[in-house]
Amino acid sequence: MGTSQLYFDHAATAPRRPEVLEAMQPFLSGTVGNPTGSHRAARAARRALDDAREEIAELTSSAPGAVVFTGGGTESCNLAVFGVAADRARRGHRARLVVSAIEHHAVLDAATRLERELLTVPADVVRLPVSTGGVVDLEAAAALCVDADLVSVMTANNEVGTVQPIPELGRLLGEVAPRAVFHTDAVAAAPWLDLGVEAAGADLVTICAHKLGGPVGIGALCFRREVALVPLVVGGGQERGRRGGTPDVAAAVGLAVALRLSSKERVDATSSTAARRDRLAALLVAADDSVRVTAPDSLRLPGTCHVTIEGISSEELVFLCDEAGLCASAASSCASGAATSSHVLEAMGVDVTSHASLRLSLGADTTDEEVTRAASVVLDAATRLRAGRA
Amino acid sequence: MSGGVDSSVAAAVLRDEGHEVVGCTLRLWGGESDSGCCSAADVDDARRVAQVLDVDHHVFNLADEFDKHVVDPYVTSHGRGETPNPCVECNRSIKFGALLARASRLGFETVATGHHARITSSHGGFQLRRGRDVAKDQSYVLGFLTAATLARVVLPIGTMTKLEVRTRAGALGLRTAAKPDSQEVCFIPRGRRDGFLASRTTLTPGNVLDRTSGALLGTVPAIELVTVGQRRGIGHGPDGEPRFVADVDVVTRTVLVGRRDDVRVSELDVDRGSVIWARSPFVDGAAVLVQTSAHGAASPATLRIFETTRLEFEHPVRPVAPGQLAVLYDPGDPDLVVGAATVARRVPTHS
Repeated sequence: MGTSQLYFDHAATAPRRPEVLEAMQPFLSGTVGNPTGSHRAARAARRALDDAREEIAELTSSAPGAVVFTGGGTESCNLAVFGVAADRARRGHRARLVVSAIEHHAVLDAATRLERELLTVPADVVRLPVSTGGVVDLEAAAALCVDADLVSVMTANNEVGTVQPIPELGRLLGEVAPRAVFHTDAVAAAPWLDLGVEAAGADLVTICAHKLGGPVGIGALCFRREVALVPLVVGGGQERGRRGGTPDVAAAVGLAVALRLSSKERVDATSSTAARRDRLAALLVAADDSVRVTAPDSLRLPGTCHVTIEGISSEELVFLCDEAGLCASAASSCASGAATSSHVLEAMGVDVTSHASLRLSLGADTTDEEVTRAASVVLDAATRLRAGRA
Repeated sequence: MSGGVDSSVAAAVLRDEGHEVVGCTLRLWGGESDSGCCSAADVDDARRVAQVLDVDHHVFNLADEFDKHVVDPYVTSHGRGETPNPCVECNRSIKFGALLARASRLGFETVATGHHARITSSHGGFQLRRGRDVAKDQSYVLGFLTAATLARVVLPIGTMTKLEVRTRAGALGLRTAAKPDSQEVCFIPRGRRDGFLASRTTLTPGNVLDRTSGALLGTVPAIELVTVGQRRGIGHGPDGEPRFVADVDVVTRTVLVGRRDDVRVSELDVDRGSVIWARSPFVDGAAVLVQTSAHGAASPATLRIFETTRLEFEHPVRPVAPGQLAVLYDPGDPDLVVGAATVARRVPTHS
């Protein structure tokens, strides 16, 4: 290889920030009390946990202290979906769930499970269509969300980066589904958007640390108001009975610091990264007719440059990029690690059979030089693949 | 790298020889089975072996190609009353087809597998031979590979016995050292072939007729599930002796059966378009040894090509279902594969 690594997969996980580790250090060695206890060591740990909690509540415009720490974004999404559906079921009610067609599997798979099994009375699940621009159709939502118990629409899509109309949807639900719990998966959006604004109107907000430069293994489900939920992880009654198990104080502190830093830097980071994203896209499109930017007219996350390239294979493209030192991802991957076709692109009506899809996701510290090199790697790989031999 | 011990050691051998090796496991099927060859657990085993060997590992999704070239034709073939061998087809169109093409696009020269067979070269060409371990020989499932393809394939463990392979794996600390070989078709849950086919094609009942007397002996619930040579479910004749299937006709919905010795054949027709012949020019009347199943013995025969293409056996052999592969070996050099062909149905004449 010989070239240094080009990391363009921030959307999969972000580089760990040194400030995060520094903040976590005191809670990673020596005696750290179990926050559930009643003695001083426990109280000290509890204090750190609750400070982190308050900070996150503030930064996400949630109710004070109404943040539940979980094992990550997936668990938070599962808790929202399973928790609300189970709550309805235990009252003898058949739950009506509405999820967008482009949700992460953490939401979609949970909903599908409820549709088929898990509850004695299966839930009714409706999937909201999206436009070809990858944005939830509000008109369709107005019709399909009537009398919903849970509506789950992500703040921004993790694959193609399109930002969803959460505040509008919130207002809409207030009219057509007043008792609905509105959950938004803000995992992809959190590094870039002010959730108090862009996720306004949602009752539950999911975030996770490692997309923000914090550690893997911690996330939060943030409550804007009181919501009845049946917990997933039980035993011990921690997190107000919503998530059992000894809370990971160090990781919670890490999450809070990561979110704080990200919020502080957001304005500058957003504009400069969006410019680099657009430059990357322009370089690719200018040099190769088969390259198209996905959802170019939609509002998208500053860090996500998603393209399709006609006539070549995603897996082969990612392979050659990797060989040249560029880390980027094709669509989703399955448990085995192989690429699978993207339900997001399918929902947007993009032809995935004859196109490769590539997501290049930038961070705030991705440089212009890296953008130039990345473009050249992708173009070179695409050319070689089209020629039929490397 | 299938996640089995053979491909694990194959990777180790190549690494030790100093080649630039990348391991890949194919994701071919995500359906209900996910057992047998190449399941999610197998992928993990292959990945771990690669990590221990310090070889890069990738998982390639070729499920669409697999559906199109292996699963669909498997179903269609059964629908015609044939008995296909999907593992042979997977080797042909996927492992040494689509994967070979991909390898080339990605800048690789060859594809290697853990098959127990050998590739040798002479007179400027490449030939396929049986593996050193006769009991484990897999040249049969590779019999249709052309010389051009063989030039781009490497079989690193063909010169090793199975015991040597497992010993080597153990010495390397590979978790697959004691792993049992997979015997099953990867996309069909064990014992559920009938249900698999029933859900994908129409199954039709048929009559079982004695091929000599024409007498109706019984019925079968689905002809498409009956195989030439089959005894199970066929019952006995009026003379009390077991009956074996001689022919399956989906058009007339008839299964012809006879006694064991009566259904043996002296000739097998093969599908002309399927013939791979390693030597040129082809000589009508070439003497060959014919193997018609993965672990069967090879029988001497003569290959004839005139209006039909046919194998004429020296001694009658058990009947072979249309759709199965006949692999041909050189009588003067019995390890050497000289050709392959797909068995065709010989329309029976009966009273």
